[in-house]
Amino acid sequence: MRIPVKYNFRSLMVRRVSTFMTVMGIGLTVGIVVVLLAMIRGLDLTFTETGDDLNLVIVRKGAESEVTSYFAPNAYDLVRYLPGVVRDTGNEPLAVGEIVVVINLPRKDGGESNIAVRGTSEKSFLLRPEVQIVAGRKFRPGVRELIVSRSLLERVEGLDVGSEIELHGVPWTVVGLFDAGSSAYASEIWTGYTDVAQTWQRPVYSSLLLRAESAEAAESIKRRVSEDQRIQLDAFTQKEFFSNQTVSSVGLKVLATLVAVIMGVGSCFAVMNMMYGQVMSRRQEIATLRALGFRRRHIVSSFLVEALILSFFGGLTGCLLGSLFHGYSAGTSNLMSFSEIVFNFRVTPEVLSAGLAYALVVGLFGGFLPARQAATVRLVEILRQ
Amino acid sequence: MKFIRLIVKNLLRNKRRTFLTVSSIAVSVFLIATLETVLTELRNPPETPDSALRLVVRHGISMFEILPYAHRAKIARVEGVEAVIASMWFGAVYKDPSNFFASFAVDTDQFFQVYPDLQITEEEKEAFIRDRTGALVGRSLAKRFGWELGDRIFLESNTWPITVELTIQGIYDGGTDLGNTLYLHWDYFNELLKKEYGAWDTTVFFWVRVKSPDLVGSVSERIDETFRNSSFPTKTETEKGFLLSITNMLGDVQLLITSIVSVVIFAVILVAANTMAMSIRERTREIGVLKALGFRRRQVLRLLLGESLLLSLSGVVLGALPARWLYSGLNIAQITSGFISKFEVTNGTLLLCLAIGIVVGIAAAAVPAWQAARRPTVEALRSVV
Repeated sequence: MRIPVKYNFRSLMVRRVSTFMTVMGIGLTVGIVVVLLAMIRGLDLTFTETGDDLNLVIVRKGAESEVTSYFAPNAYDLVRYLPGVVRDTGNEPLAVGEIVVVINLPRKDGGESNIAVRGTSEKSFLLRPEVQIVAGRKFRPGVRELIVSRSLLERVEGLDVGSEIELHGVPWTVVGLFDAGSSAYASEIWTGYTDVAQTWQRPVYSSLLLRAESAEAAESIKRRVSEDQRIQLDAFTQKEFFSNQTVSSVGLKVLATLVAVIMGVGSCFAVMNMMYGQVMSRRQEIATLRALGFRRRHIVSSFLVEALILSFFGGLTGCLLGSLFHGYSAGTSNLMSFSEIVFNFRVTPEVLSAGLAYALVVGLFGGFLPARQAATVRLVEILRQ
Repeated sequence: MKFIRLIVKNLLRNKRRTFLTVSSIAVSVFLIATLETVLTELRNPPETPDSALRLVVRHGISMFEILPYAHRAKIARVEGVEAVIASMWFGAVYKDPSNFFASFAVDTDQFFQVYPDLQITEEEKEAFIRDRTGALVGRSLAKRFGWELGDRIFLESNTWPITVELTIQGIYDGGTDLGNTLYLHWDYFNELLKKEYGAWDTTVFFWVRVKSPDLVGSVSERIDETFRNSSFPTKTETEKGFLLSITNMLGDVQLLITSIVSVVIFAVILVAANTMAMSIRERTREIGVLKALGFRRRQVLRLLLGESLLLSLSGVVLGALPARWLYSGLNIAQITSGFISKFEVTNGTLLLCLAIGIVVGIAAAAVPAWQAARRPTVEALRSVV
């Protein structure tokens, strides 16, 4: 017969102050790990959830972001009239040539941000249905009007609708705000293609976005673009293109691993301390249990269960603490384009289960040695007072 | 202090618990020292007497804008300027995209005047200057790829649509980048880009050496003044200021690290407090005996606080000093492709860890020690643990 779990709960309650402190200690550790995982998840999802599998991004061969890509307008025409590109009602291809430049703007918390400005056209909204105007109106091309992502508004100075800002030495007007969900576009400012190309004196394209008729058409366009030696371009689905940029979270991943491993070891020691304390003060109880007929392995598993209960509640506390940060918005640098990327912390079910699993591993390692020691308590100890 | 033996004996009474607590504090302090070092390095880029004389000139709008090469001659005429070179980010990749490192195309004629802190023989200097397709590499970078003098290497660029074949003509030691950068000739680079684009003759940075430290501010102002009303305005910063603006792009990383450190400190307090509470509770009767022998409350309190401080400070010593030794042997510049050039646990960080140790020691024992000291002697003597 196994020792009832109720016994473990009661034992923990007897030393409730110690139990509480150990649970909180594990909770804080798990909390940090959950928040870091939520950040990594949020940043990665910003890239991997951007776009549609039928949308193709075409950039210069070898360019890893739109900021370092540029090609001449003749390549633009060669690509957009390829067969397999969706045509609109006027039989024009559903494709948009864009130019991306980076500007410095003052951050609200001090310092400067590098913000990507995308010169595009009306068609951009057809190709990116996730982008919606939420205030003001769309930009009109040719008159230097800007629309700004809502998420940028919280971080960068002077971007409210109606404000005038100076970019590249000339005045521009903010005429609208857009919402791009949690996609990579939520960190951008949009305006007309010619406005950027003329102001920056760069009559080139950074990228071309087009919609393929089907998955097969997308494949064949990709092949034709990358095999055409004249244009030196590469085509990716929007998802493929942005998933390259998840390299931006590499620093966070290093940080999370470092913190998780070191604090995990520290928490193991804390659990061991608590559990050794339990074993020491319950030697007589253990001997009594043995006298009642419980086997050594029952004692071992009972103490292990106790350590797991401890760490489980620690994990739960950590998940709760971590969940408070769900949706919190932060910014970092997109390491591929060196422009600022705004993302939201996402405490997803995967993040929470990882946090709990981590807590249980800590409990298991921390509980193992004390549980083994509990099994060495001999029957005669019941006689010692 | 005459009770130090008593304090030590008390700590050693339960050796395992003391060991576990000290270890738990030590690993946490190790983490704190590591994170604080990251922060210190991000906030204080390396500075040497030579690097303090270097200024970086870039476009006034952002570091993604280009400047005409003709600026070089104008900068050279500014009063107080000793030497000036154009410098262009090359974005070198060796064989595989993961083999990425810092690389710049530079004017070689005045290169060693701007970088006198690079240690290299006169013959190698001349060889690099003479060979248009020559490369100058840092010792650490050369080691990483097994390059030797005279080797021919192919490098791709992830920023420009070009590939270069270079001969290694010099290997330098030292420098603020600790030997993790590759330099090639700006002329050669420019010629390749001209072939690609038809016209080029532009650069992103100019590096300037100022004649003396007290001229740094006025030279910066004069350079920016020279170009204020041109179509290519400039922004001139010290090398240190420039590096700071790059780390600033990482956004909220500093806030994140500071928050993690605070939570870790809190977790350490919980671990230490748990131990002190356990150990003081077990000794209730002993404390009663001490008081019966004539110990004052204040003395008892001091004894217990001393024990707690010794516990936490041992953890600090065992966590912070190994961090210092461990990181002194680490080539962080190589690991981070030159992004962080040194990783050194400074005396400031050690002092911070010490301060944390004192706070933890006092916070951990405060409540249980106060209670124990206040407890009526008779009641303490009667208590059964």
